[in-house]
Amino acid sequence: MTSNAAVTQIESHRSLLWLESVTVAFGGLLALSSVDLEVVEGDRLAVLGPNGAGKTTLFNAIAGDITPSEGKVLIKGVDCTALPSRLRPQLGVARTYQKTRLFPGLTVEDNLYLAQTGKQRRHLSLWRNAKDAELRAKAREAAGMVWLTDQLSAQVADLAHGQQRQLEIGIALVTEPDLIMLDEPASGLSKGERERLVELLEALPVDSTLILIEHDMEVALSVADRVVVMSDGEVVATGTPDEIRRNPLVHAIYLGEEAAS
Amino acid sequence: MISLSARNVAVALTCVALILLPAFGSDFFVDFVATRTLMLGLAASTMVFLSAYGGMVSLAQWLIFGVAGFAVGNVVAESGRGLNLGWGPWTGVFIALVAATLLALLLGILSARSTGIYFLMLTLTYAVVGFFFFGQVTTFSGFGGITGIDPPGFFDDRPKRLYYAALVLSMLAYVGFRAIARTPFGLALQGVRDDPVRMSSLGFNVQLHRTLAFTLAGFVAGLAGVLNIWWNGQIDPTSISIGPTLDLLIIAVIGGISHLEGAWLGAFVFIGANIYLRDIPFLGSIEGLLEERLLAEERFNTVIGLLLLLIMLASPDGLAGIIARIEHGIRLAFRRSNPEGDGSSLRTNGQ
Repeated sequence: MTSNAAVTQIESHRSLLWLESVTVAFGGLLALSSVDLEVVEGDRLAVLGPNGAGKTTLFNAIAGDITPSEGKVLIKGVDCTALPSRLRPQLGVARTYQKTRLFPGLTVEDNLYLAQTGKQRRHLSLWRNAKDAELRAKAREAAGMVWLTDQLSAQVADLAHGQQRQLEIGIALVTEPDLIMLDEPASGLSKGERERLVELLEALPVDSTLILIEHDMEVALSVADRVVVMSDGEVVATGTPDEIRRNPLVHAIYLGEEAAS
Repeated sequence: MISLSARNVAVALTCVALILLPAFGSDFFVDFVATRTLMLGLAASTMVFLSAYGGMVSLAQWLIFGVAGFAVGNVVAESGRGLNLGWGPWTGVFIALVAATLLALLLGILSARSTGIYFLMLTLTYAVVGFFFFGQVTTFSGFGGITGIDPPGFFDDRPKRLYYAALVLSMLAYVGFRAIARTPFGLALQGVRDDPVRMSSLGFNVQLHRTLAFTLAGFVAGLAGVLNIWWNGQIDPTSISIGPTLDLLIIAVIGGISHLEGAWLGAFVFIGANIYLRDIPFLGSIEGLLEERLLAEERFNTVIGLLLLLIMLASPDGLAGIIARIEHGIRLAFRRSNPEGDGSSLRTNGQ
């Protein structure tokens, strides 16, 4: 990836997401160090790495929850490095969180309906109208996509953990994003629930662009067609799932030098 | 659409009883118990609304309630302390509601970034500032307060008309707050309560939602403040000091700060305890040991404190929480006795 500004601008127009030398520092700790990354439409990118590698910080920088100390974040060619997180859904970005972040006081349908109203700018309305009926119908449709149709009226606080993770993904999908970022969607799931999750991710429309952080290599490598491996805030390897499986550096990072050799 | 739930049926029956109350209740009960309960309940409902739907426990509601009262006093009174503008009572109402709403908007903007204990402390600070402002700025009041404020002539037929005004406004506030909870704005407010970070990542302006909810609650608190000044005929800074500010919180907690109905339930218990506990023989027999007013006040604070403690121990969710649990028990029993039915006729709506 070139750092030439003019080329960057031209390249970035073709990219859905373009990160240029993104650095995030927390005091003396460098959480991300000069990360370059490009994601084009239809990409299914898995971001791997041990704890503390900077994966979630990378997500936070893309989603606007953190402003990078240095570098640029371009989404659809728009420089949104300092754009607040609440304005990024308008650019087609949706994310999930490592720790489940839902609205437990509301029902499943309300969660999926609410997720759309922010982007649709319906959230300040004191009246319900035909548009709401449309959004409700889409909410029910999204519940079907994540197998929660029979839980539409259930209070989210009463759902099992696996169902809550499904709803997390449903909330991201219902906004019809151009870029979906899933932060450890398999976290805390049983083996059966993981298989269900893989099935769900594989069933996403083929043109969906996905970035996935996942500790479970099986889940990540079966869903992604490209993999980025991070360690200590840096990108240390990129490649196809097969290339990453064979990469000795990746083995060393995950298993230690001795085991890798 | 309004569902025929046990909760709605109970609320509807209570409303019917309240409408008929002046026909069979004494004037004393209607004026000193029922009207005051409705006024305090209306003020407390704004605290419950902000807490239950927005996750904000505000101690500034009593200040806003008081500001509306001071505004009416300054505009309507013709002599004594304050501005003495001597304008008509309805002009006073208009100015009071505008003042209360604008103050709520300002305070909402200032506190929208705070949450939890910081929000509580910030709003407590507003209440203290308000007390000293009206105490020390004699242009608007001074510690002696404003007296001789008459309600509009329409309310001369006391206590009935003022009672009905308080009842109608309470009903509108109750129905309105519940209806708002189901609108896009209300659902977004509940989303802000549950997870502001997620709301922001979904495109919501969290601070704006908090500010608008605070402003709306301020308008309703202003309405309660207007009723109170009509009922009381006077207002002084002591009536908006920390004591009464905390009384409103006690009312909300006794009733149940997560249930709108709790605002009026708590107000009823609070007013009832204040008026009737002096008639209990043991408590009455110690009267005269100290100066009567002081004794009455201290005795009341002790009793209401014990009452609060008992209710909190029995139900952290207040009286409305106890009622909700009883209703849940009945629903379960109904389901067990009718396994074929889905129990929908007894289904409750979530807040």
